[in-house]
Amino acid sequence: MVTDKQKEFAKLIEPHLPSLYNTALRMTHNQNDAEDLVQDALFKAYRALDQFQKDTNFRAWVFRILVNTFITAYRKAIRQPQKVSYDDMEEFFLYKRLDETVTLQEVPKEEFLENLFDDDVKEALDNLPYQFRLVVLLCDVEGFSYNEIANIINAPLGTVMSRLYRGRKLLQRYLWNYAKKRGYITDEFLPKK
Amino acid sequence: MSSYQKNKPEFNCADIEEYVQQYLDNVLDEEKKRLFEEHIEYCLPCDKKIEFERKFKEIVRLKAKENLPHETIDRKLKELLENLY
Ligand SMILES: [Zn+2]
Repeated sequence: MVTDKQKEFAKLIEPHLPSLYNTALRMTHNQNDAEDLVQDALFKAYRALDQFQKDTNFRAWVFRILVNTFITAYRKAIRQPQKVSYDDMEEFFLYKRLDETVTLQEVPKEEFLENLFDDDVKEALDNLPYQFRLVVLLCDVEGFSYNEIANIINAPLGTVMSRLYRGRKLLQRYLWNYAKKRGYITDEFLPKK
Repeated sequence: MSSYQKNKPEFNCADIEEYVQQYLDNVLDEEKKRLFEEHIEYCLPCDKKIEFERKFKEIVRLKAKENLPHETIDRKLKELLENLY
C-alpha cells in the first residue's frame, strides 16, 4: 500500500531520476553500482524528507545526499587522491593542440569536438580523479551553479572553482590523447615546425 | 576627460585566458564582463578560442548524458516505491 508520503516523494523525485542515475553512473563506473547508489541515496532522502525545507532547492538537496552517500560508500576506494600534475594545465589546451596540427588547420576546430564519440567523452570523464569529475559533472552536465555545487559537495567556492577549471583542462588533455590513440590524429599529421 | 583615455582599463589576451572559465559560466561581475567582451570583439584569436571553449562545454554536456528511456525511469520509480519503508 502506497502512502501519501511515498506518493509525494515519488512526485518530487521523478524529474531528477535521470540526472541522479547519470551522475551515479559516472561516479561508480557501472550500472549495478549506480543503481545501488541511487537507491541508497533515495532511501536516505525519503527518511529525511521532513527535514527538507519546502520551497528550497529540492534538486540540490537530493544531489547533496547522493554525493554524501557516494563518499561514505566509496571512502576506501577514494581515500588516496590520485596525483595530478598541475604544471602543464594550460588554458585552451585542446584548441592550441589542434591549431598546431597542420592537417587540421583548414578544418573548423569545433568539428573535432562534434566528431568525438559519446564513449570517448564518458571515458575521459570516468578517468578524472573523482573530486574533479564530480564538480565537472555537477556544473557542465547537470547545470548547477557554483554556489549550489559548494553546498552539494560541502566545500568553499574557491575549491569548487579550482576543481572545475582543473577538471575541464584535464578532460581536454585526455580527449586529445584518445584522439591520437584512436587515430583521429595520426603521426603523419605532423605538427608545425 | 579624454586625456585619461590611455589609463582606461582594458583586457589583454592574458586576461582573457585568466577569466575565460568564469566568463563562460557567466559569473564575472558587470565590469569584467564588459572588458572581456570588448576585448574579444576586436581580438579574433581570442574570440575563436572562446567559441571553441563554449562548444567544448556544450559537447561535454551533450555527450555525457545517458538518455534513459521513459520505461526505465518508470520501472525504477516503481521499484523504489515498493522498497521504501
Ligand atoms: Zn586577445
